Amino acid sequence: MTQVTGYIGRSVKRKEDARLLRGEGRYLDDLNHLKPKQVAFWRSPYAHARIKAVRTAEARELPGVIAVFTGEDFAPVKPLVTEIQLEGYVAKPQDPVARDKASHAGEIVAVVVAEDRYIAEDALELIEVDFEPLPAVVDVDAALAEGSSLVHTEVPGNIYYRGRRVFGEVEAAFAKAELVFRETFRTSRIAGTPLEARGCLAEYDPYQDVLTVWSSTQIPSILHLKLAEIFGMHENGIRIIAPDMGGGFGIKAQIYPEEIIIPFLARALRLPVKWVQDRREDLLTGVHARDHRYELEAAVTREGVLTALRLRMLTDAGAFSSFPFGCTLEATGGARMILGPYKIRNYEYDTIAVATNKAPAGAYRGVAQPSCFFAIEGLMDIIAGKLGLDPAEIRRRNMLSSAELPYTNPIGIHFDSGSYGESLEKALQSARYAEVRGEQSRIPADAGRQIGIGLACYTEISGISSKGYQSRGVADVPGYDSVRMRMDPSGTVAIYTTLTSQGQGHWTTFAQIAATELGIEPDQVRVVDGDTGLAPLGTGTFASRASITGGGAVFRAAREIKRILLRVAGGMLDDLPPEELELGEGFVRARGRKLKVTLREAARKAYEIRSGGSETREIPGLEVIAYYDPPPSNWSNAVHLAVVELNLVTGFPRFLDYVVVSDCGNLINPMIVDGQIQGGAAQGIGEALLEALEYDPGGQLLTASWGDYLIPTALDVPEMKIEHITTPCPSTEGGVKGMGEGGAIGALPAVVNAVNDALRRSRCWTGVPITRAPVKPEDILRRVGAVGAEGGDGR
Amino acid sequence: MSTRTITLTVNDQTLTREVPVRKTLADFLREDLGLTGTHVGCELGQCGACTVLLNGDPVKSCLLFAVQAEGSQIVTVEGLAGKDALHPLQQAFHDHHALQCGFCTPGMLLAAVDLLSRNPAPKADEIRRHLSGNLCRCTGYVNIVKAIEAVGAGAAGTDTVSTGAVGAGNIQK
Ligand code: FES
Ligand code: FES
Repeated sequence: MTQVTGYIGRSVKRKEDARLLRGEGRYLDDLNHLKPKQVAFWRSPYAHARIKAVRTAEARELPGVIAVFTGEDFAPVKPLVTEIQLEGYVAKPQDPVARDKASHAGEIVAVVVAEDRYIAEDALELIEVDFEPLPAVVDVDAALAEGSSLVHTEVPGNIYYRGRRVFGEVEAAFAKAELVFRETFRTSRIAGTPLEARGCLAEYDPYQDVLTVWSSTQIPSILHLKLAEIFGMHENGIRIIAPDMGGGFGIKAQIYPEEIIIPFLARALRLPVKWVQDRREDLLTGVHARDHRYELEAAVTREGVLTALRLRMLTDAGAFSSFPFGCTLEATGGARMILGPYKIRNYEYDTIAVATNKAPAGAYRGVAQPSCFFAIEGLMDIIAGKLGLDPAEIRRRNMLSSAELPYTNPIGIHFDSGSYGESLEKALQSARYAEVRGEQSRIPADAGRQIGIGLACYTEISGISSKGYQSRGVADVPGYDSVRMRMDPSGTVAIYTTLTSQGQGHWTTFAQIAATELGIEPDQVRVVDGDTGLAPLGTGTFASRASITGGGAVFRAAREIKRILLRVAGGMLDDLPPEELELGEGFVRARGRKLKVTLREAARKAYEIRSGGSETREIPGLEVIAYYDPPPSNWSNAVHLAVVELNLVTGFPRFLDYVVVSDCGNLINPMIVDGQIQGGAAQGIGEALLEALEYDPGGQLLTASWGDYLIPTALDVPEMKIEHITTPCPSTEGGVKGMGEGGAIGALPAVVNAVNDALRRSRCWTGVPITRAPVKPEDILRRVGAVGAEGGDGR
Repeated sequence: MSTRTITLTVNDQTLTREVPVRKTLADFLREDLGLTGTHVGCELGQCGACTVLLNGDPVKSCLLFAVQAEGSQIVTVEGLAGKDALHPLQQAFHDHHALQCGFCTPGMLLAAVDLLSRNPAPKADEIRRHLSGNLCRCTGYVNIVKAIEAVGAGAAGTDTVSTGAVGAGNIQK
């Protein structure tokens, strides 16, 4: 049951909707008040090539062209270095514009500034670059092979990072193992590809020496600090504003070369300058994700209990270790998260982030969690199949029970609250599991359509703290967030934060929290987000953190305002102490007495510095800054259950049912939470059935439009039954846990498991499940022998 | 760059403008008229974010040149309702949480206006088919389908779904 306190726990309709619905949003490309000049980039057509000469004279002469820049012009700009303080990590500085060589197709080689984008793109045609092509490294095996060409000479063996750890008695457990299972799981390189691509606008004011940068970024504070460092400016001479964003999903939570180039140009040219990314650039250079291989080895008892797990993990980091999370993000993420809700006591991993001549990999919704749970949940089904256990039963046998909490797993992850088993049982019930199993078994093995059920049980990391980022060696992510909150003399409230919103609805949820704490209406709270000129620095909106960290800061700020307000009001009410006062419905009332003042009167009093209110406190006004650095352990958990009907003639699966049981502690706005789950799961379904960035052997991206890189349409996503179990987090403000990524985590394993389950029932079952995502119709048809075998990749 | 003078009606307002012949309708609406509610997601006709109505039919404005709209009637999202009002579809999107980031929303709304003008009470699968050219990366579509279904059910037999263009949108002079 969702707990309701004031406005918290209610499906309050969103404050941001009306203007977005009327077309009055202000996304980056809508910002034309400065009449900016427009930028287009000349990007490397080669995945790997030495740059011999860049000829721009002709382009410069085109009418309407203002300037053309090449790598040398950026020599004064400090290269971007992603600092990860982990043993086994190699840092490689990245110039915003390539100088000596291009390391992936799409890397920027020249920059055109022109009166409009049409002219800028005309000028690109007039630029000529002499290249000397170098051998391109486009897959991890080739990259790791003896004598492979190097992506960068500074990265020996093409190994950006290698981490090896042993926890518990792994050797001994394998020596004693009754059964050993080995399986390899692969996920394809994918793109988050938000509907609004990225963009950047900058203006430099020499009079105030202030550089203002509008960027579609999820991390304005981090960009702010980095630009100051890169340009050698004082932090107070920079302002970053993230306007409305058309989705982010982590893709906008990196600093990209363009976010350095555009402000640089604005300063160099003393002109407002804008660049808006097109879709090809997004798919070509927006951070990629999930190009992973998990080689798993499990020691298992005859009862199906996993006693030890070994993982060898390979991730394809691409050409650069993206900033600020680095190429260790998915490499350590998958290795650390894979144990999930299971009590596997002995564990060992060896994880490698491999450099290749592809676009850099980075953060995308769920980070490595979709792929690591795809691996472990796939393995669970394989073991269950071999032992003749029901997939639900093998999970029960390995799962952490609530009675065992708090629990610290072998790698040191601390679970303080959760409902792993309860969530599983609730999902089974809600899907009428036993009945569907019955229906399934009545379908003959030679039928052209088979039903499959897929389960995915997972934990989701959320709200990572400063300590969390320190322990991951991530040097440039602070981990706390903050708000400035002001109650005006009229009693209305403004919240300023550098947290951004790219669809999450923080205007609404932060207002719900403040309104609840201060006894006012959400409509009386204004949220101004994404602006480092108005709010204290913080971290940003990604990795399921804003409701914990931003929400936590709002809770704290509101309580502080309430404290001041009660003291001021006390002075107006017979000098009553705060304990005897209460706040609600726009009044401060004396408990158990008729005395009261309106909140507005008390607020106005707080601003009086001459008399009255001022005597009861140190400074006038009702404005506070609050920070929140969450406790180190905030894990939510969930179960996805997918039921598909697999058509063995066409190869297409169709959803018959889809159940999500989520436990993210207290919910602030259930409507928004459910929307996040539904949308996240849609992305996971894309990952399971559609999405793959394909490269040719020369390192050319073959899927550079939405016609080639398929994301789910309205025909692909089923309606879901979403249910909640509420186990409040004992340590966060408000008992909340983050959940923004969860939908995307559960869908990939649940859907592929369902497809495999359907295949397993059919006469064409070969005993070998599909262990590679996405599963496309041609993969199914290959299984049923309808098309010829192709490729030896274990599909 | 060669230009041409065009006359067209946008959200009930007739106007004449000189435009480069190669300028897309989407860029013309956004840059020349300041109607930035029409969004550009792909420029390739693949996402539907730029959908507007041209003589009542939905078109992807990134695939048309502005000069091709000569003499036509265009409705953009700014033309669906008055300044402070919401069109019934906009209201339903709000009520059903059918938008998150809002970037796909204008295109979705215009595609839905078109559907409801042909089929006043469409069923979920008809809505899904009709929207299959409009991508949304945030919502998973379910709430969009519900919002449109609700308007269809509520409006069967009335004309509330016709575009109530009230000369809306701040067309730049
Ligand atoms: S922008 Fe026109 S269809 Fe995508
Ligand atoms: S609401 Fe973000 S793309 Fe649809």
